[in-house]
Amino acid sequence: MIVIQTDDVDIGALIIAAKKHGTGAVVVFDGVVRDDDITEMELEAYEDVATQELDKIAKNATEQFRLLHVDIIHRIGRLAVGENILMIIVAAGHREEAYAGSRFIIEAIKAGVPIWKKELTKDGGRWVPGEHGHGKPKTS
Amino acid sequence: MTVKIRFFARFRELFGADIMTDVVTGTMFTSLITTIAKKNPEGYAAIFDEKGAFREFVILMKNGKRIDIADAAKTPVADGDEIAVFPPVAGG
Repeated sequence: MIVIQTDDVDIGALIIAAKKHGTGAVVVFDGVVRDDDITEMELEAYEDVATQELDKIAKNATEQFRLLHVDIIHRIGRLAVGENILMIIVAAGHREEAYAGSRFIIEAIKAGVPIWKKELTKDGGRWVPGEHGHGKPKTS
Repeated sequence: MTVKIRFFARFRELFGADIMTDVVTGTMFTSLITTIAKKNPEGYAAIFDEKGAFREFVILMKNGKRIDIADAAKTPVADGDEIAVFPPVAGG
């Protein structure tokens, strides 16, 4: 399942469903709203494009790390401290591939998928700065 | 011809989420965004620098594909195009 949605998911059920024939390791990444003195977090996505890019990332990770199963669930909307933001469930034959595939997916999402986070505070809000700039002018 | 412009995150707060606009044939990406942005001085300053160039962190897309800001001035828009303008992504 590759999806952007407001609802949470049952991670336990996804782990069970991920155990395809040949699975020796399942790695779960669960990104949660950290208590950085905020009241809530608001997430926004360019949904069509973000979903296409998540699909592409999952496909690349599957090929590169011989993954047997990939789920990526990225939530949008308003989330409270402690709620799940992003869940990546990866299954592979061995732990090396499962860990590497999971890490590849989260780093690729942070690098380029059009999703944004705004931390809401008592005094208003602040957009979380992206880790990667894009579209820099070409230099010779 | 009509083009849809979509802004996200901080740019959405400044310009609104979607703008439908009529443009003449041959309009280039940069001139279209410049025209729209000039209607909102704060928004213009968020996207363009003092020389009128896109700020280096601004990301541009046409129909879901990235356009390098160095190419935007010579990239034409066409009827039905979906243009997106947004700041660096911060998902995950």
